[in-house]
Amino acid sequence: MTEWVKRLQGYVKIRVWGFAPQRFINLCSNKGILLWNIEKQEDVYTMCIGLRSFYELRTIARKTKVRVVISERYGLPFFVPGMLRRKAFLAGLFLAVAFWLISSLFVWDIQVTGNYQVTDDVFYSFLEQEGIHTGMRRSELNIGELEKQIRRKFSQVTWTSGRLDGTRLVIEIKENDMSVPEVVQDAAGAGKDLVAECNGVITDMIVRCGVPKVSIGSEVAKGDILVEGRIPIYAEDGTVREYRPVTPDADIVLEHTGTFQAYLPADYIRKKYTGRQKTFYFIHFGDREWKPEKKMDFLQYDSVLEACPVKALEYLQIPCMVGRITYREYQKTEYYYTVSEAETVLQKKIMDFLETLDEKGVQIISKDVKIETKRAGWTAHGELLLREAAVSLVDSRAEDTGAEDLDRNED
Amino acid sequence: MGALRVTLTGNSEAWIENYRGILEYTGERILLQAKTCQVCLEGTRLSIDYYTNEDMKISGNISALRYLRE
Repeated sequence: MTEWVKRLQGYVKIRVWGFAPQRFINLCSNKGILLWNIEKQEDVYTMCIGLRSFYELRTIARKTKVRVVISERYGLPFFVPGMLRRKAFLAGLFLAVAFWLISSLFVWDIQVTGNYQVTDDVFYSFLEQEGIHTGMRRSELNIGELEKQIRRKFSQVTWTSGRLDGTRLVIEIKENDMSVPEVVQDAAGAGKDLVAECNGVITDMIVRCGVPKVSIGSEVAKGDILVEGRIPIYAEDGTVREYRPVTPDADIVLEHTGTFQAYLPADYIRKKYTGRQKTFYFIHFGDREWKPEKKMDFLQYDSVLEACPVKALEYLQIPCMVGRITYREYQKTEYYYTVSEAETVLQKKIMDFLETLDEKGVQIISKDVKIETKRAGWTAHGELLLREAAVSLVDSRAEDTGAEDLDRNED
Repeated sequence: MGALRVTLTGNSEAWIENYRGILEYTGERILLQAKTCQVCLEGTRLSIDYYTNEDMKISGNISALRYLRE
């Protein structure tokens, strides 16, 4: 700390020699002048002294008949005049500090963490709608209001926290991991039914809400009601007093057969590259683009564009892009699939189809797919035994009122 | 009292208070004048870290401290 104070006020390193240097040191201390780092090198004493005190040395030096010479200068008073002569450096320093100060007034980065259900794109477009974007003034940001708006807009967000970390707006959110229960009571009051989407056999059934109309092992046709959304309320005498409309909730697995069919023509067109290619570099800034104008003498060609956007921060993009375009000449050539190639391509198609089913949660019990030549091409066709929740909600078909049902029951 | 106060830390540092002035200073010997006596510090590479009217700090390789009566 004292070293910084000394450097701020400035100090010099002096060399003292002559008749009575010890007396010189004593007189300095008597006059309250601080000396430090006193060393003796042969007949010469070197020591450090504050810049202000240095001007008081003249009388002491004369009295003690010593010579005092400055050997080195330290501190701000010696540094500043040298700096003042370097005008470009000073201007740069001033501009840098000004840029730093001004840019600290804005938000330059927005970071969102903890979002799984709400995607980044959705969240950033919401922020954009709320007027929150990179480059906005920090003073215009109302974090409390933003937190409220996030909770209001996204029902799955249970907790949110926003804070400014320098020029970065950090938004942390927590989402509800539990599934949101469906509304049991139908809004219109008519109720809904759960119906089969295809013909099949029920292999598994768990009903949480509604009246089951089928059981495990039942064969159902497309459109059959599996769970009815009208719960009968019985009177004390065992008769139905009324029906309460609900939205049925059940896990029902249907086993049914599905078909797969794919066709592959025997021939196909493939690009055969000649090896001739041309590469151009370009710069894209805003709406303007700079690239060399060159004539393309290729008959058929495609192009590969590689562009790299310039980013200042993770989410702060400068509207500038640099990249290159490579034009590659090719010739269209006709090829015919060999047996193994056709099989490979069709097997790939089958596997893709099965993967798609698997992603949808469809269980594949068995598959019987054959590949054969047909109509100047190749076909893959077969049957699949599948298990899936092939049910859907439809509006209740009963033309009901509680009274009608009651009457029917009484009959 | 005006008695000299010497504080030694090992043989490398010495703080001295209540002295009158320096009588002799070389890299091997520093002789100080106190009110009633003189103090001589002997050693090698002796240097004065700071020197004021109140106190001073000597550092180096101190080998002996002697009081010399006038």
